[in-house]
Amino acid sequence: MTTIAANPADLHDHDHAHDDHKPAFFQRWFMSTNHKDIGTLYLIFAIVAGIIGGAISGLMRMELAEPGVQYLQGWATMMQGSEATLDQAYHMWNVLITAHGLIMVFFMVMPAMVGGFGNWFVPIMIGAPDMAFPRMNNISFWLLIPAFLLLLGSTFVPGGSGLGAGTGWTVYAPLSTSGSVGPAVDLAILSLHLAGASSILGAINFITTIFNMRAPGMTLNKMPLFVWSMLVTAFLLLLSLPVLAAAITMLLTDRNFGSAFFNAAGGGDPVLYQHLFWFFGHPEVYIMILPGFGIISHIIATFSKKPVFGYLGMAYAMVAIGVVGFVVWAHHMFTVGLSVNMKMYFTAATMVIAVPTGIKIFSWIATMWGGSLSFKTPMVWALGFIFMFTVGGVTGVVLANGGVDDNLHDTYYVVAHFHYVLSLGAVFSIFAGFYYWFPKMSGRHYSEALGHLHFWVFFVGVNVLFFPMHFLGRQGMPRRYPDYPEAYAYWNEIASLGYAIMAAGMLIFFINIAYALVAGRRAEGNYWGEGATTLEWTLSSPPPFHQFETLPVIK
Amino acid sequence: MSAATISPEIARRNRRAGVIALCLALGMLGLGYAAVPLYRIFCEATGFGGTTMKVSEAAADRVAVTDKSIVVRFDSNVSSALPWRFKPENPTEKITIGARDMAAFTATNLSSKPVTGTATFNVTPTQAGRYFAKVQCFCFTEQTLEPGQTVRMPVIYYVDPAILTDPDTKDIEEITLSYTFYPLDRANKGS
Amino acid sequence: MAFASWTKSIGFAALALVTAPMALAQTPPAPPVAAPTPSAQVAPAAAAPAAAAEAAPADAAAATALDSSYTPMAPTAGKGMPIEKGLDFQQQYSELGEYAHWLDTSVLLPIIVAISLLVLGLLIWVMIRYRAAANPNPSRVTHNTAIEIIWTLVPVLILVGVAVPSIDLLAKQYKPAPADAVTVKVTGYQWYWGYSYPDNGDFEVVSNMLSKEDAEKRGEPFQLAVDNRMVVPAGEPIRIITTASDVIHSFAVPSLWFKMDAVPGRSNEKMLTIKEPGVYYGQCSELCGARHGFMPIAVEALPRDKFDAWVRSQGGTVKGDQVAAAPAAAPAAATTTSAAQGAAAAAAAPAAAQ
Repeated sequence: MTTIAANPADLHDHDHAHDDHKPAFFQRWFMSTNHKDIGTLYLIFAIVAGIIGGAISGLMRMELAEPGVQYLQGWATMMQGSEATLDQAYHMWNVLITAHGLIMVFFMVMPAMVGGFGNWFVPIMIGAPDMAFPRMNNISFWLLIPAFLLLLGSTFVPGGSGLGAGTGWTVYAPLSTSGSVGPAVDLAILSLHLAGASSILGAINFITTIFNMRAPGMTLNKMPLFVWSMLVTAFLLLLSLPVLAAAITMLLTDRNFGSAFFNAAGGGDPVLYQHLFWFFGHPEVYIMILPGFGIISHIIATFSKKPVFGYLGMAYAMVAIGVVGFVVWAHHMFTVGLSVNMKMYFTAATMVIAVPTGIKIFSWIATMWGGSLSFKTPMVWALGFIFMFTVGGVTGVVLANGGVDDNLHDTYYVVAHFHYVLSLGAVFSIFAGFYYWFPKMSGRHYSEALGHLHFWVFFVGVNVLFFPMHFLGRQGMPRRYPDYPEAYAYWNEIASLGYAIMAAGMLIFFINIAYALVAGRRAEGNYWGEGATTLEWTLSSPPPFHQFETLPVIK
Repeated sequence: MSAATISPEIARRNRRAGVIALCLALGMLGLGYAAVPLYRIFCEATGFGGTTMKVSEAAADRVAVTDKSIVVRFDSNVSSALPWRFKPENPTEKITIGARDMAAFTATNLSSKPVTGTATFNVTPTQAGRYFAKVQCFCFTEQTLEPGQTVRMPVIYYVDPAILTDPDTKDIEEITLSYTFYPLDRANKGS
Repeated sequence: MAFASWTKSIGFAALALVTAPMALAQTPPAPPVAAPTPSAQVAPAAAAPAAAAEAAPADAAAATALDSSYTPMAPTAGKGMPIEKGLDFQQQYSELGEYAHWLDTSVLLPIIVAISLLVLGLLIWVMIRYRAAANPNPSRVTHNTAIEIIWTLVPVLILVGVAVPSIDLLAKQYKPAPADAVTVKVTGYQWYWGYSYPDNGDFEVVSNMLSKEDAEKRGEPFQLAVDNRMVVPAGEPIRIITTASDVIHSFAVPSLWFKMDAVPGRSNEKMLTIKEPGVYYGQCSELCGARHGFMPIAVEALPRDKFDAWVRSQGGTVKGDQVAAAPAAAPAAATTTSAAQGAAAAAAAPAAAQ
């Protein structure tokens, strides 16, 4: 497959030899080998998944808006078509939190960052005509569709106390093995297998592309930071996802074929599953944020009209974050019964990550220092990102302390922390990148006013939504609870209000996109002006179907 | 795309890089599985998670007996899927560090069918695992009990005197040895 | 799908906007965190089992009438439970909890707030000072070795500073319990807790959540109140051993800074010392299936004599009962017989549980 795709003679004979001669609809979108088309498909997919995952969190905030179980029983009844018992209703809750987590991680953030922006801009930024393995690229995308369908489908089949997989996105054994009878968890695991395979193939593609397909003169040390971030991300994917694949395959055999990898009854250890999961799971959180670091670096530089401050430090900080990210996993397991020495080690190692992260934050500020800042939509998102990510990062330092974590572990403080780094970190960087590149990708300008409005409404919404969760967590409210004692009502209600504000912000986003596609002003090649220096700005908007017929030479 | 952009040379290098990356991924997959035995070896070597040490009679004989004592608590659990009663004969025993001791548990099959069980175990505080040496025990040997039958299950063990010098364990005054019995076939389905 | 969900969200938004202010107005002010003396806090419980409780210690010489009365202690509002609109951790009732709380409030929180404000301040400064209108010609500075070293080293030093008390706290948290500590074995079940007392006759207390009506009847917070609490002595080290019977649970009590996973097939151990009598609530903190949110934890710490009385009321045995009853008897007497004595003394107590 790879040989054919990369064979120039083969491509030459086909009719896509000319720049804008695009293949017919089916061929173009279903059998696509064009990195930009595949990137577009990924972005559309991520938006669809994001709507579903976001709607699920809306259901959750609705249920949590006040004490008592108001809606779950009705939803569970609707799902199964017969009067739901309380247990089935509570199980429904677990299905919602599981689906929300898995969808946002595997089907929204990763496809948007890696599949979407990565596919679109890595080849362009390094001056390559396409990805190294265009057909594998297509396979990567199309593996995601059945993966997503399997996950959605799992909610319609039995999974223990009710319909669907209610194991949490971590799928801990033995809740996911002996604790969940029925095919739902099997389907969810298979879904993760497919999504994982998709990402591994994608990672192989990115690594090969970045190492081999750079234009003449594009040395590693001249590579744009977004490409650096994708390179580190691809390595994290390549090294961590197979471990997840192994762990969940063992879950499958434990469930179905009587093996006892994680079953204490047969001499296995459920804690081993947690080690394996988090060996994947911790790099995974960097997989979700590193591309965002890359995007933010470009945006800050563009709108400061200044090159990135401390380029090498920025690149190596990402490498350092990637490397250290592999040796801190057990801080997710501080209460599982680790030995004192291990807990001390993981406390110290986790805190170390704050150093390269700090370098990045300060380098972004230094990039703006002395610059000539213009506050276009992507820039306000990037500024929002820097502050919100800092807030999420410092609460991570609190949680890194094993002794303090004893009280905060599995509370809403943790929920607040990872939503600050993901929902306000990764998602802000996705929006920043989207507004930065949308005219490049579509050839149309969106409304600046609506973009700013979207930012402010969303910014207020997510802060009202997630900041009170710090208080709830400090007061001891555990995660993954469909209901809570009266004392937690106040902040929960405010959080739910924040969700409503955020949802209104999302509405503005969709209006803006619709407006841009229907009536948006046409975008020229470099619409950001002198600050935008990477190779995508040398191309038209949208870029030609095949770019860089003649490779650019980087001086 | 012209021939100038992807030469056969680059295609070849791509293939090679792709295969290397794939091998890395497969290697990590292998490591994922290898983690299972490696984890067990790691636990057995370091006593991680309260894994006890297995020693031979000969090695046990060479251990110096000290004049210090320590309390050992015996804890028993039975899976809800196993119709057994399983209890230590004494909940605690005060023993001399370094000296071999025997503790016994009794198990009774409360059902009207022969049932086979197998046990898992660990010690707490978990850092004591590497100094808790078992010379002989029933752990993981399958035990079949006839209806109503009661058997006595002995554990011969000692506490390694090195526990007194390790800064992580020297303050330990009591070690708990905990067993959980499970039915042998797939245990806790829907328990 | 998308449209349906968004219209739902908007409707919900409108609803929330309308109802929020009303709800806020109705919310009563948070009850003040009680900080009276320990004796004042146990007063409600002490008053209840009046006769028996006071009679026994009063007549020490004729200590044959062993106290075996127990009335669940009434919780103190705001103690050992979350408080409305609370921002901080729950007030701590163990020394290590106070230490950890101090580490958060006096070390970590000031540092993270300072860092966040520093970043925010710098952002606002550059946004104002270097906006295009104020600074039309950008500089081309991309390196400054000195500042790069500073912003690498300063965080390292701060982290080292934080690490010292953190590591110290961890070391203290792992201090093993002394041999004479009261041992409680906590077992997580789907979906309730079992507390057994191996040194007190090995009886097991099964603890289920109270229904809303029952909780209100007892004056306890719903979803935290349980039918049978885990009763322990106050002011003494307690060895808590956790395990689980089916899936992983986690035994957590926020006001005691205590959280330990209960893993099937293995046990975990941790020491806890509760400073003063009281009722301390917690909730299961590891996803364990449908009713994960409905298996709360209630720890009731009692003075030693009240704890002993509770043990007897459960049919358990108390070490030293024999001695107290007949001081002349051999001190080495096995505790097994004391159950019978306890039962004889307290008619209510059933025979010792296995």
